[in-house]
Amino acid sequence: MKTLSQIVAELSHLPGVVASMVVGAIDGLIVETSGMKDTGPGATDPRKHTAALGAYLYSKATRAADAARLGTPAFMRLEAQQGHICVVGARDVVLVTIVTPDANLGRVRLDMMNAAQGIS
Amino acid sequence: MSDPTVAEGWVSVPLRRLKDDARLISGVLLYPTGRAVGQFGFSNAADVMSICALTSAINASARELGRQLDGKPFYETHHAGADRQVFMARCAAGGQELLFVGVFDRESSLGVVEIYFAEFQQALTMLRPEKETKGTGPTGDFEGELNRSLDALFGPLGKR
Repeated sequence: MKTLSQIVAELSHLPGVVASMVVGAIDGLIVETSGMKDTGPGATDPRKHTAALGAYLYSKATRAADAARLGTPAFMRLEAQQGHICVVGARDVVLVTIVTPDANLGRVRLDMMNAAQGIS
Repeated sequence: MSDPTVAEGWVSVPLRRLKDDARLISGVLLYPTGRAVGQFGFSNAADVMSICALTSAINASARELGRQLDGKPFYETHHAGADRQVFMARCAAGGQELLFVGVFDRESSLGVVEIYFAEFQQALTMLRPEKETKGTGPTGDFEGELNRSLDALFGPLGKR
């Protein structure tokens, strides 16, 4: 079984992954995080905000899926102008990645879901 | 959820934004002396009076506890109850220190409250209190200050 630091390190090495984090599902606080890639000098670190709001969005998506009687969400991807935020639930935590627009999203999705199974 | 009521108008906009963004159920902004500056989620002056007194005392205790245990004051406190959670932290405006106490439930999270409180802190640093309080310690008229601020928030006693 992999440690949380191994999981975030492996996810962060995927092409296009800017940062990966393990975040508390309920409190939205970062449990483990990789470093940030591709940040210029003076750029603000988006990890804390992304972690808290990603976990929050995932909890709302879980309620929406439950209301629609679809069961637990397997994978959540938010597509924005300059990239994606991907979230996968794993019991008491969620995996959150910040991904560039040109990343191989299929690979990111697969590896995040496998990683989540490793945590569960 | 009710809109904030404020004793000092300069804090109205950032306090409303904090309430909405962080999805707080209730909250009080006060001076460390216990004087309330603004509140939301309360309709009863007695509740705000109790919260101001307790927050002021908890802040003083947490600082001293931090000094003794960690060599530096604890400025942020969080308590997770079964259904509701309490977040307390300090901020500053115009060189004047303020305390904030907020309550949230499962509609928010500590992470979300922390990030929007950080934005609230930033917003306050650009503002100036209308009535600056000299010093951060108690003035010796704790009850008087508290009652004056409650009058401003809820109206004079007898009309509340």
